[in-house]
Amino acid sequence: MIDSFTLSTGFGAWNAVFWVIAFLIAFIIGWLIWSRGEKTYDTSTSATASFLSGNAEPEKEAVHIRAGNLYWGYTDALSGYYRFIKPLHTGNLSDYFLAYLFVTALVLIVVVVLK
Amino acid sequence: MSSLLVTIAGVILVTIFGIIAGLFLMGVDRICAARMQMRQGPPLIQPFIDIRKLLSKDSQVPANAIPSLFNAAPIVAFASAVTVLFYLPLGSILPVGTPLPMVGEYGDLILIMYLLTVPALAMVAGGFASGSPYASVGAQREMVTMIAYEFPLAIAIIAIAWRLAVAGLVMPFSVNTLAANPIWTVVGPIGIIGCILLLIVLAWVTPAELSRIPCDTPEAETELCGGLLVEYSGRNLALFSLSMAAKLVAMAGLAVLLFLPWNISPLIGISGIGAAGADLVFFLLKVIVVMFFSVTLVRVVMARFRINTVVSLYWGWLTTIGLIGMFLIILDGSMSLGGCLS
Repeated sequence: MIDSFTLSTGFGAWNAVFWVIAFLIAFIIGWLIWSRGEKTYDTSTSATASFLSGNAEPEKEAVHIRAGNLYWGYTDALSGYYRFIKPLHTGNLSDYFLAYLFVTALVLIVVVVLK
Repeated sequence: MSSLLVTIAGVILVTIFGIIAGLFLMGVDRICAARMQMRQGPPLIQPFIDIRKLLSKDSQVPANAIPSLFNAAPIVAFASAVTVLFYLPLGSILPVGTPLPMVGEYGDLILIMYLLTVPALAMVAGGFASGSPYASVGAQREMVTMIAYEFPLAIAIIAIAWRLAVAGLVMPFSVNTLAANPIWTVVGPIGIIGCILLLIVLAWVTPAELSRIPCDTPEAETELCGGLLVEYSGRNLALFSLSMAAKLVAMAGLAVLLFLPWNISPLIGISGIGAAGADLVFFLLKVIVVMFFSVTLVRVVMARFRINTVVSLYWGWLTTIGLIGMFLIILDGSMSLGGCLS
């Protein structure tokens, strides 16, 4: 029955219905293990405060990771690339079309050379 | 209807196997690491004891947390990590669903690649739901780490599948195709060099997938006090530990599938259930070897990378090595076709 939902591309296959069933079963098993654990906990203020190595908790705004910093490690590691790519993003639509044409021409040349 | 019941039974059995094998592997990992550091190390069953102890401890929910997301994340991480195992062959035991008729399987390598990201995403969601600065930084690092290692992993998988397609095999992304046609028997000398490079890439992706040293920046005990897991305790932490155990089996199983898919039963000439058992034991031995070289050895001899170093390593060095490996495999495939590059 499940087999009729399998999508095959000729290179690979996947069956979303099986995945949903399998995930649900695994989820239930996980939930059963989880529900066997200790349910109660100390609800006093000191126990439920965030752990900050004994320091007082700062204001939310002070410790919130802003969207611009979310990928810090990534942007910092590729800073050389971003230094090159940022000036190209001028906001001018003509520049984007020019870049698109250039890349398309490059891809076509590579395809012709390979063929 | 009976095929559905067989599938459900298979899913339950594989889940149990994933838990036991994963915790067993973590025990082996800890013993090997201890012996390399001239320590006795914990008993093999220590991870099982740890889980039992965690389940008996209080599971604190921080006042700042979003309780529903905070509690759901460990269960989703566990379920998604275990789900990957349903698509991998365990020795000669084919993935759940095969050998039923029709296409014969329910998922391929592309699906496995995507599913491997789900436990990490659940951990990120749990980290952000903790309402802790340490956990937020850890979750942010986990996302960056994920972006870093996905590209080299994709290169390794696609290069191998492409070479199988050039060899005339149908369904090159199928795990059954990979299991039946080891890549080493398909490629020529140049392709073997390419495969060795891709093997190195996959070996380095494994510690990043598992957030192990030197890529444990999302947890970083000494600076983030556990990072995205800092607020987790009790049964929630137990579920995260189980998900890491299952993911360890999945990642090592993926490496075995791609590069060491041979079984031992044809060599010793047995068949039936005995062959399945012997192949399963042989599979676990291969998984231990993979884990030793890509996780245990690496975490003992190295220190933690900074998060920007992780990105530089994976997007710089490992992507370059992967692309060279892929180029050699393309060259090998082209030569086998009579040189379409010429």
